[in-house]
Parts: sequence; structure tokens; C-alpha cells
Amino acid sequence: MRVGMEFFIGLSAILFCLGLYGALSKRSAVMILMSLELMANAVNINLVAFSRFVTPKVMTGQFFAVFMMVVAAAEIGLGLALVLALYRQTQTIEVQFLNELKG
Amino acid sequence: MNYIIAIPLLPAAVFGLFFVLPRRIRNRMLYLPLAAMAGSFVLSIPAFLSAWPGGEDAVRTGTWHVAYRLGTIGTGPLDVILRLDPYAAMMLLVVTIVGLGVQIYSLSYMRGEERIGWYYAVLSLFTSAMLLLVLAGDYLLFYMAWEVMGLCSYLLIGFWFTDNAARNASIKAFLVTRVGDVGFAVGLAIIWVTVGSFDFHAVLPAATTWGPGVATAVALLLLFGAMGKSAQFPLHVWLPDAMAGPTPASALIHAATMVAAGVFLVARSLPIFEVSGVAMHAVLLIGGTTALLGATMGAVQYDIKKVLAYSTISQLGYMFLGLGTGNVAAGLFLLLTHAFFKSLLFLGAGSIIHSLHTQDMREMGGVASKMKVTTVTFTIGALALAGIPPLSGFFSKDLILDSLWAGHHYVAFAVALSTAMLTAFYMTRLWLRVFPGEPRDTKHAGGHESDWKILSPMVVLSVITLGIGFSAIVFAKFIAGEAAWPQLVMGSTSTLVALVGIVIAWVLFGGGRDTEERTARSSFVYLLVSNKYFLDYPYEHIALGYTRFSEGVNWFDRVVINGVVNGVGVACRQGGGLLKRMQTGRVQTYQRLVLAGVIAFIVIAVYLRGV
Repeated sequence: MRVGMEFFIGLSAILFCLGLYGALSKRSAVMILMSLELMANAVNINLVAFSRFVTPKVMTGQFFAVFMMVVAAAEIGLGLALVLALYRQTQTIEVQFLNELKG
Repeated sequence: MNYIIAIPLLPAAVFGLFFVLPRRIRNRMLYLPLAAMAGSFVLSIPAFLSAWPGGEDAVRTGTWHVAYRLGTIGTGPLDVILRLDPYAAMMLLVVTIVGLGVQIYSLSYMRGEERIGWYYAVLSLFTSAMLLLVLAGDYLLFYMAWEVMGLCSYLLIGFWFTDNAARNASIKAFLVTRVGDVGFAVGLAIIWVTVGSFDFHAVLPAATTWGPGVATAVALLLLFGAMGKSAQFPLHVWLPDAMAGPTPASALIHAATMVAAGVFLVARSLPIFEVSGVAMHAVLLIGGTTALLGATMGAVQYDIKKVLAYSTISQLGYMFLGLGTGNVAAGLFLLLTHAFFKSLLFLGAGSIIHSLHTQDMREMGGVASKMKVTTVTFTIGALALAGIPPLSGFFSKDLILDSLWAGHHYVAFAVALSTAMLTAFYMTRLWLRVFPGEPRDTKHAGGHESDWKILSPMVVLSVITLGIGFSAIVFAKFIAGEAAWPQLVMGSTSTLVALVGIVIAWVLFGGGRDTEERTARSSFVYLLVSNKYFLDYPYEHIALGYTRFSEGVNWFDRVVINGVVNGVGVACRQGGGLLKRMQTGRVQTYQRLVLAGVIAFIVIAVYLRGV
């Protein structure tokens, strides 16, 4: 059985949906950050898969994936720092209490 | 000769000055309008003499004229033309004499009025407009002066504007005369299109070349304007109500001058009317109807001023009867004599009202023993109006009856004769109710004669009324009409008819009898006449219908237009209130909405592309 591009895209879609579900439904800010990572990695799989199957000679997609991992690492660092600051301010990291943006 | 321009300008200048002066100051400067009026009168005398001896040529071309070019409309020049001719010369004297008398009279009658300065200002503006009207050498200037008079009439009727009746009467007078003015304006437009000029000297001689269709149209439209101004049936309804104004103003405007302007217009435009037989018959018909209706309605009034108002309507109809025969002297001579004796009667009525503080004749009586001068002068006026020789009314009435008979207008003749009888009847009725016997109501016993300011104009006017009748022949020659001394048959017939009217009134009301209440009240004819033939009702219905229509439009504006505008606002606010709930402040909610939006877009895109 040959593993084609549709498997990678399917995996990526499943991962993305799981991440999206987590980001929309989890109450803990840390869990939401983790869900965001899932979504970012789903995109990474996509990039690599397209690079491999559509433009095998050019490595643009692969490099993009590497860049994205770097950016995601920086992002998660920043995000966790924010969650820590939030915890110091409000003694909670549950997002349902964070509704200061109301107009 | 250019001093003639100053005749209308003097009172106009006074109005301009009084218009800007504060009330306190102008109230103390009443000698100024009097001086201006006297100046106009003095200047009118040489103006009158310069038109002497009048005649055909003087009437056609005028003895003096001056034109100011305003510009051009299309190809025609637009001039403002003043001209003096015998018609104008005669009217100048009438207007300035009555105007001066009324101003002297008002000094006493209106004393203590808070707005007396304004009263004099409007009186001056009115006199100025009337003088301008008679001096006008073209229809446009004539129309302008005509409208200014309408405004002054409105202002003076509504002078006591805190009184509802006076305010409504002023609005009614303004609106009803306006209906006639529309006809006048359309007539002027046709004249402009046909002739390309408003100059009397260009328009009137050209009338014979228009053909009967155009001439009839123009004549009838001008007549319609005259009917509004001169209170002719069916546009007469405003004049009785106009009596809510100050009595001296009624004497000047609603007896002597402004209401005569319609007669003057028809007399001026008579060459146009003579081209069209229909128009001449219309003048006779309107005049006859009005004369008879006015006289009958005057016979059942209890308000002394209203009797005189209906009498004025009736006499103006008489003037139209005279003009309808084509003899301009017949109409204008009654205009001349009527101006004097009717203003005399109004001033006399004012003197009585001033003394007794009532206008209701049922509360009067016994005036003769206390107010000697008023009684004598008023009686002279009443006899003149009734047409008893040798007073002026007799001659003017005879001239009209003569012209009607000579022109074979026998129906109109019969109408005129019956009107003469009715006139004598209602004046006797008025006289018997007011002068002899004892006061009927002790509240209004009165009992002091008015002062010299009120009496002197009345004395002067009664002297004129006594004498002016004898000028009929000279007058007719002056304005190029026809007149002869009264013949024995005609003169005695009309006198006899007048005497019959007096005797009937004497039998009914003499010696304090009052059969009117007991016998006549129940009859159908009395009901019809005392309700003014129900002629006010159609107008009321028109007015009511219009009011309803306005209310409908108002409702549409308030509910529909305003509703839409307000509805948009309310919808936005309510919608905003609903949408506000979506702003929970929770990021996850927003995210869900974004997701829903994305999915929606995808669905739409797929649906459209049909993947």
C-alpha cells in the first residue's frame, strides 16, 4: 500500500480539528495554548506533505516548517509568560472569567 | 406737473417713517399722517383742475403722464406709468377728502388705543395705495396698488386681533378677495400675451381687434377680480364680517374707496367689456343679483354696521348695473356720491357706537334727543341713500335707472327699482330703531354728543352730499359719459318707490312698534334672508373640506413620513441593543463566531462554484 498525499492531508485535518475544538472549548488557558500548538503542527504536516508531493525538487515547504517550529517555540514561551502574569493578577487561569473586553 | 407724483408718495413716506419708529414715539406723532394727508388733498386740487374740462380725448390719452422703464419682458417693454385723466382726477379728490375726514375723525375715535400709531401708519399706506391705483397708467401698477390695499384691509379688519371674530374676519376677507385676484392675474397674463403691454393707452384701443373670444375671456376675468374686491355675489361674503374692524377704517376702506376699486377697474376697462356682449350681460347679471340680495339681507340685520355693510354691497351692485349699460357716467357718478354719503353714514354710526357702546340696534333708541348733530347729518346720509330728491343719491340712482330703461334692460330695471324700494325700507327701519323715542336699554343710554373731531368730517361730508348731486351733467361731460337732468316720469317713479319703502317701514316699525319679531320670524322668507341665503355654507364647506384635507396631509406627514424617519432610528437602536449581547468579552465566543463565518463562507463558495 502506497502512502499518498491524501493520508497526510487527512491526518493534518484531524489534528487541526482536534486543536480547534480544544481552543474553542477548553477552560484552562494552558490547555488552549496546547491546542494552538496542535493546530500549528497540523499546518506543518500540510506544508511538508505539499512540499514532498507537489514540488519534490524545491525545499521551500520544508524550510517553512522549520521556521514555523521556531516561531511556535517563541510563541509558546510568550504565551506561557502571559498565563503566568495573568495568574498573578487574577489568581485564575480559567478563561470564562476573562471578559474584560466586553463593550 | 410732476408734483402729482407726490400725491401718493406723501402718505407712503409717512408709513415708511412710522414703520421704523418705535411705538411710543409714533403714537405721539399723529399730526404727521394728518399733515401728509392734507398735503395730498391740497395737491389734488390743482391736479384736478389741470384735467379740466376733461372730455373724450382727455379720458383716452390722459392729460399728464410719466413712465419709468423697468426693463423688458420678452420683446415688450415693462414700464411703470402714472397718468392723470378725468377718472383719476375725480378719484383723487374723493380719496383725499374722505381720507382726510377719516383721519381727523380717528383722532377722537381711536384715542387711547395702544397701537394708534400703527393704525395711522396702515391708514396712510392704504391711502397711498388707493391714490397710486387711481393714478396708475398701466395694469401692472394698478394690480400692485390693488394688492397693497388688500393687505391694508386685512391689517385694519384684524386691528383688534385679540378678538377672535376680528381675526377670523380678516383672514376671510383676505382669502375671499384673493380668489378674485387670481382671476385678475390670469386676465393680466392674457392681456400681456395678446398685446405685449400693460399700458392702458396701448391695451384699451386695441381691444376691438382681439375678437370676441379673447375680449370675453379678459373681460370676465377682470370682472372676477372686481367681484372679489367690490364684494359682488357670490364673493360678497367677506364684507359684512369685515365690520369687525374699527369703524372709521370701515368708512374709508369698506365703503368709500377700496371696495369701489372693482367698479373703477371695470369702468377703466369698459372698452374691453364693450367688445363682448357676454361680458356686458355678465356685469348686469352680477350687479343686479348683488344689488337685490344685498338689500334684502340688509333689511334683517340688527347690527347697525352690518346694515350699512349690506347696503354697501347692494350699492356696489347698483354701480355695476350702471356700468353694464355701457354708460360709464352712470356707474362712476354713483361711485362718487356713494363714497361721500356712505362714509358719512359709517362715521355717523361710529359716532353713535362711540357714545352708546353698542352696535346692536335693539339696544338703541332715543339718540335724536341727545346727539343733535349726529342725527341731522346721519339723516341726510340716509335720505341720500334712500334716493330722496334733491340729495345726491337721487341723481345717481336716476342716472342708472335712465340708462337701464334707455338700454332696454327691463329686467335689470325692475331689479334696480325693487332695490331702491328695499334701500329706502332698510334705512327707515334703521333710522326708526336708532333715533326716535326713548333708549330701549338703560345700560346703553349714552347721552353725550361726540366732540368736534368726530362731528366736523360728518358735517363736511353731509354738505357735499347735499350739493354734489347737481353736478351730474358737468360730471358726465368731464368723464365723457352721458347724463341728463331727471325726467318727470322717471324721477317721480323712483321717488314714489322710495316713499313706498319708507311708508312700509313706518307701518312696521314706526312709533316703537316692532312687528318683525312677532310676525316675520316664523316665515320661510325671513329665515332664508336672515341666514344670508345660506351662502356662507358652501364656503364653510369648502373651508372645512380644505381643513380636513390639510389634516389628512398633516397626519400623513406626522405618521408616515415621521414614522419612517423615526422608525429607522428606532430600528438601529433596537438592533444595536440586540447585537450588544453578542459582545460577551470572552475571546472564545468570538472565535466560535469567526469559525461559523468561515464555515459559512466555505459553504457559500462551494455552493457557488459547485465543486
